[in-house]
Amino acid sequence: MRKDYKKLMVIGSGPIVIGQAAEFDFSGTQACRSLKEEGYRTVLVNSNPATIQTDTDTADSVYIEPLEAANIAKIIEREGVDGVLSGMGGQTALNICSELADSGELERLGCSLVGTQPDAIAMSEDRELFKETMERIGEPVPVSRSVNTIEEAKEAVKIIGRYPVLVRPAYTLGGTGGGIAHNEEELEEICARGLAYSRIHQVLIEESVLGWKEYEYEVMRDSNDNCIIICNMENLDAMGIHTGESIVVAPCLTLSDTDHQRLRTAALKVIRALNIEGGCNVQFAFNPANGDYRLIEVNPRVSRSSALASKATGYPIARVATKIAVGYTLDEIPNRITGTTCAAFEPSIDYVVIKIPRWPFDKFRTVDRHLGTQMKSTGEVMSIGRTFEEALLKGLRSLEIGVKGLDRVEVTDDEIREELVNATDKRIFVMAEALRKGWSPEEVADLAKWDIFFVRKLLNVVKMEKRLAEGLTPEVLREAKRMGFSDETIADICGIHQQDVRAMRKSEDIVPVYKMVDTCAAEFEAQTPYFYSTYGHRSEAKPEEGKKKVVIVGGGPIRIGQGIEFDYCCVHGVMALQEEGVDAVIINNNPETVSTDYDISDRLYFEPLTLEDVLNVIESEDADGVICQYGGQTSVNLAVDLERSLKGTKTRILGTTPDDMDVAEDRRRFSKLMDELGIKQPKSGTGYSFEEAKAIAEDIGYPVLVRPSYVLGGRAMEIVYSTEELKTYVDTAVKVSRNHPILIDKYLTEATEIDVDCVCDGTDVYVGGIMEHVEYAGCHSGDATMVLPPFTLKPKVIEEIVAIADKVALALHIKGLMNLQLAVKDDEIYMIEANPRASRTVPFISKATGIPLAKVGVKVMLGKTLKDFGLKGYRSIDHYAVKESVFPFLKLPGVDSILTPEMKSTGEVMGIDEDFHTACYKAQVAAGNKLPTEGGVYITVNDQDKPRIVQVARDLKEMGFTIYATKGTSTFLREHGVETVPVFRLDENQKPNAVGLMRDGDINLIINTPSLKSGAVRDGYTMRRLAVELEIPYVTTVPGAEMAVGSIKVARSEKLSVRSMKEFHNLVN
Amino acid sequence: MTRSETLYTVLKSEKSPMAKGYLVLEDGTVFEGETFGAECETDGEVVFTTGMCGYQESLTDPSFRGQILVMTYPLIGNYGVAEEYYQSKAIHTRGLVVREYCKEPSPMYGSRTIDDFLKFYGIPGISGIDTRELVIKIRTGGTVKGAITTDAEGLEETIKRLQRMPAPSESNLVSEVSCKEISSRDNGKDITVGLIDCGTKSGIQRDLNARFNVVTFPYDTPADVIVESGVKGVLISNGPGDPSHPDILKTTVRTVSDLAGQLPMFGICFGSQLIGIAMGGSTYKLKFGHRGCNQPVKCDNRVYITSQNHGFAVDEHSLDGTDLVVNQKNVNDGSVEGVVHKNLPIFTSQYHPEASPGPCDTSYLFDWFGRMIREGKL
Repeated sequence: MRKDYKKLMVIGSGPIVIGQAAEFDFSGTQACRSLKEEGYRTVLVNSNPATIQTDTDTADSVYIEPLEAANIAKIIEREGVDGVLSGMGGQTALNICSELADSGELERLGCSLVGTQPDAIAMSEDRELFKETMERIGEPVPVSRSVNTIEEAKEAVKIIGRYPVLVRPAYTLGGTGGGIAHNEEELEEICARGLAYSRIHQVLIEESVLGWKEYEYEVMRDSNDNCIIICNMENLDAMGIHTGESIVVAPCLTLSDTDHQRLRTAALKVIRALNIEGGCNVQFAFNPANGDYRLIEVNPRVSRSSALASKATGYPIARVATKIAVGYTLDEIPNRITGTTCAAFEPSIDYVVIKIPRWPFDKFRTVDRHLGTQMKSTGEVMSIGRTFEEALLKGLRSLEIGVKGLDRVEVTDDEIREELVNATDKRIFVMAEALRKGWSPEEVADLAKWDIFFVRKLLNVVKMEKRLAEGLTPEVLREAKRMGFSDETIADICGIHQQDVRAMRKSEDIVPVYKMVDTCAAEFEAQTPYFYSTYGHRSEAKPEEGKKKVVIVGGGPIRIGQGIEFDYCCVHGVMALQEEGVDAVIINNNPETVSTDYDISDRLYFEPLTLEDVLNVIESEDADGVICQYGGQTSVNLAVDLERSLKGTKTRILGTTPDDMDVAEDRRRFSKLMDELGIKQPKSGTGYSFEEAKAIAEDIGYPVLVRPSYVLGGRAMEIVYSTEELKTYVDTAVKVSRNHPILIDKYLTEATEIDVDCVCDGTDVYVGGIMEHVEYAGCHSGDATMVLPPFTLKPKVIEEIVAIADKVALALHIKGLMNLQLAVKDDEIYMIEANPRASRTVPFISKATGIPLAKVGVKVMLGKTLKDFGLKGYRSIDHYAVKESVFPFLKLPGVDSILTPEMKSTGEVMGIDEDFHTACYKAQVAAGNKLPTEGGVYITVNDQDKPRIVQVARDLKEMGFTIYATKGTSTFLREHGVETVPVFRLDENQKPNAVGLMRDGDINLIINTPSLKSGAVRDGYTMRRLAVELEIPYVTTVPGAEMAVGSIKVARSEKLSVRSMKEFHNLVN
Repeated sequence: MTRSETLYTVLKSEKSPMAKGYLVLEDGTVFEGETFGAECETDGEVVFTTGMCGYQESLTDPSFRGQILVMTYPLIGNYGVAEEYYQSKAIHTRGLVVREYCKEPSPMYGSRTIDDFLKFYGIPGISGIDTRELVIKIRTGGTVKGAITTDAEGLEETIKRLQRMPAPSESNLVSEVSCKEISSRDNGKDITVGLIDCGTKSGIQRDLNARFNVVTFPYDTPADVIVESGVKGVLISNGPGDPSHPDILKTTVRTVSDLAGQLPMFGICFGSQLIGIAMGGSTYKLKFGHRGCNQPVKCDNRVYITSQNHGFAVDEHSLDGTDLVVNQKNVNDGSVEGVVHKNLPIFTSQYHPEASPGPCDTSYLFDWFGRMIREGKL
């Protein structure tokens, strides 16, 4: 039965980080909608502006505020919230709820936790309590001991009796700081790290179940003790590789019914013992040798796995868990999929679902690629097929890592052996290669600890490759397509063109059909507009005839450079289409996102985003239009090929034409246009050999920005300061040649970088926002701290920026959105690039200003004018919004934390306030940068920055901070009246030095601006890495330091107010 | 074990194991696929189950007598076939239809293949079928008769034959699967119960053996024989076919009605339907049955996920005026899932508390049975 609440709060999960991605936007959004349906008043809090849940219509009040207990308490009090949903915002929300409950704050505010209760959180999070609970109900857990010191850890190993042991920190997400210790030395190292990361300074030392199989169960329970399983999942990679890092298949394929029921029954016992009302995820290790199992972990909330299970089955776990939390029982909740039945059933599926993680190793070339108990992947793809092979091949080509399927890799037998035993992201490709080389599936399975069942599936693919190579007949083609081969792979093997394969398929009538995801294996008639392709008899997707249909190409997996922002844009695109009476069709393959919620679009196709797969959907839909500008680079890259393939059909690419998009992307064409428009650009050139590059660089003058011409999104982009560095770059990072020249740009030192997002309808231009970067130009705009509106630019410069946006948008015939990146130096404006598509900052601007840019963009594409919305020119806002980036350095040992032209951040937060410094401070807090209010600051800056740093140092000193500085900086500061404690540089090998002081906790903030010359950047690596591990905030620019000082002042004043988005937007209007 | 008695004609020609085959339906639909298992033709009532694993339990479940089983899950045979999962001593389905069968299963349970298993019992299978499309056909048109054949030339003939062929449930299928003799098993328990074997699954025997000593009776055993055997309660098992078949009315239904008031009774599935009829109610054929491991049943305001396999059900309205009360209902379609007698110690479940395959959430019903015997009431 429904319980009464005055107002309910949903807490989001904050920025996208490794281990916590878009899945909580999906669950939080579903939760809010679910509550709204029941007529509850709702409040949502999240610090991440790039989410659908922070749209003002998701909840009655939406707050974009730092996710900190104190802040949340303020909002609870301000809004009169009497119930907080604890389980919708991942570990972040769960931790906050547990903190508020433990401190008695909730009780004081007359507010209760709704859904997962504090005791359930404690029982599942506190290892010792968890173990006790499991022992009480007779369920086996690995032998283990919770410890708080390294000595206790050694004792624990004695009790367990053998190495290796697992080290798991309590209360962290994504397994941060954990590891496998094979000996005492490793134990000490991992424990030290784990204890530091754990919120309660506790780690668990545990019996190893490495090599056992890993299974997961998604369970739901209501207040009436009704329990159901939504889905079970099998990890292809054995225990030892985090489930977030493992390839996962649903449902379990290799468990007999009896064993499945044993685990199912155990999972139900667990959720009952923890007294969870809502959803929970239970993980098992299963010994294939004797059928023994161990309970490994329980997550008493919706999770990445539950998002996957929702998408894999069609069962909306977050929506149902929300209803359960407010008192409904499963049989009272209607099943919207069938429309006739209720939520009290267990989904049965009739396909194979595969999830494959997406790792950021293409961006972080120095990172250790080995997979283990710590998550390193930033996102994932899901694919659906009627066979394992079909699902796998679709999944692999969804990854967008340049593979079309089980692509070939060059490896020696020794490398194969090493890779099979110590997996990296490449293992599945190496396995296939081993089979191609004649390794037996037994050998491969044995070394990799995979069930041979799956290895044989890979062998089937390899065998099919051989048959294709022997000659392409219609029969073989049909079988290969049924097995999931892409046209591209078939073309490669047969040495023909992809278009020829497509033509042959069509002449043989080998075209995909679309089957429905309906939760019930077709037992009941369902209305779900959720489809996947396969090669079978009849298609179930029935686009309505006569209705206008537009396909939006989605953004694919979350990776560095392409985050949740593009999913936000796609969802807004869908809404805009629907508002205009057009059927909105989404193609995407990311199970974490809102766009792949079947409730969002008119039809959802869970498919790879390749030319072939997208064209198939367009043809099946008989679509009128396609939008390629909203899914980030994924969809933009398809535009030209799609246009070519769609020539002569009724389907049009909506918005800016691919040719105009090409003008923006092609440097020569773009430079010419800028010259015509009289817009300055940094000097540049294209080098086809090292000698040419060197000549150009010398002509332009160092430093220069270099990048290869053939990769996009800032990959392999660097600033080089000398010929030697250029040589190193050419030798190591890229191979320069006739076909692959490198692009060289003048690097404008100490220029201010500006991002502009605008909409153009062909006649008018509306500048949605102008954002000033805090860091100097040269730091990737995706990593930069940005402020809206600009905080240092002169009005004249802003006027000129608006004029430039106007000129460029009209000249490029933009229909829809455009993003500009500009640099300002000495009040001169330089064009860096124009992106004729939705940019990463669109959601940020929309949240800050209240103008939904993405929606306006789509409506303009459909033919509306900006006049229709009363939008023209540029209008500033009366408050400040600061975007701060969040970085994965902690999770990725070996990565340098210095910001460069290559993007490194995984997510973003927004700080918003009427006061500039308060907005900055909120952004810092939200991003997890623990700015100190007292203690020590270490300052070491280059000569150019010395004059400007004096005020910073003085301010800090006045606030009572101890200033530590290296000799040069120290002398300079003393000369200007700021007392410092001099410390030695690392290479001077004397104490005190910064590293020692950091370890001792004497340094709480570091201001280090590297000198702009060769090698200097690398010298600070040890210190930066240590700062990352000790979580000491690290500032690398003077503007950043000034901002930090402003923020610290705010922090010390302790006068932080919270305000809902509507209140901010009313300020605008 | 013997090859199950034949309703099938063995093909004379030598065919490769991947021979092209056809699933032919009486409405004229033909699905093309590849045959596996035994090289012979078959026909029967085509039904589907939505259980995602447990194929071996289903194939050996005597309730599937006379039926060609379609698995909605596309990959079947992944974990092979193991002795311990047999629900009887043979395969009872007349054929198996899958999207794909596994030729080299996961070795966790031994490595016997489903192909070998079907061959051993003389049962043909067909793979490569768009089973989802087939299921939608059955869901919309109702259960159909069908055949698996490799005779491409004779498809027309097969369709005509199917149209003329009587439904398998028109014959007394129970007599084909029930035991022929009374047997008893002492498990060292306090209570001895009777099991009327209409085609019982070994899962029921397992759950009874864990709690009682068990005497098993053929389906046509008269009530007095059972009473005289000294058993303290009777479980009427699952079984194939139509519960209102004349042979059943004359035998088992008669026995049940005679036992009422003399011994506590618990009916499972077919047994539940027999109790319904014996107490004055009637049964009807469901459009396409309930077969799977995910059927929600409501009892005492609680929802249980149950394992089901039935094509017939007790008509709720037919119970008006009888002494039976419906106490359990299917949450999806409201059909009768269990009844209790107003005065006598009699209760039933339309679903399978013994699971095998499926969830074990309702195995407590066997405890209820014991309690009812001890206390004389439910």
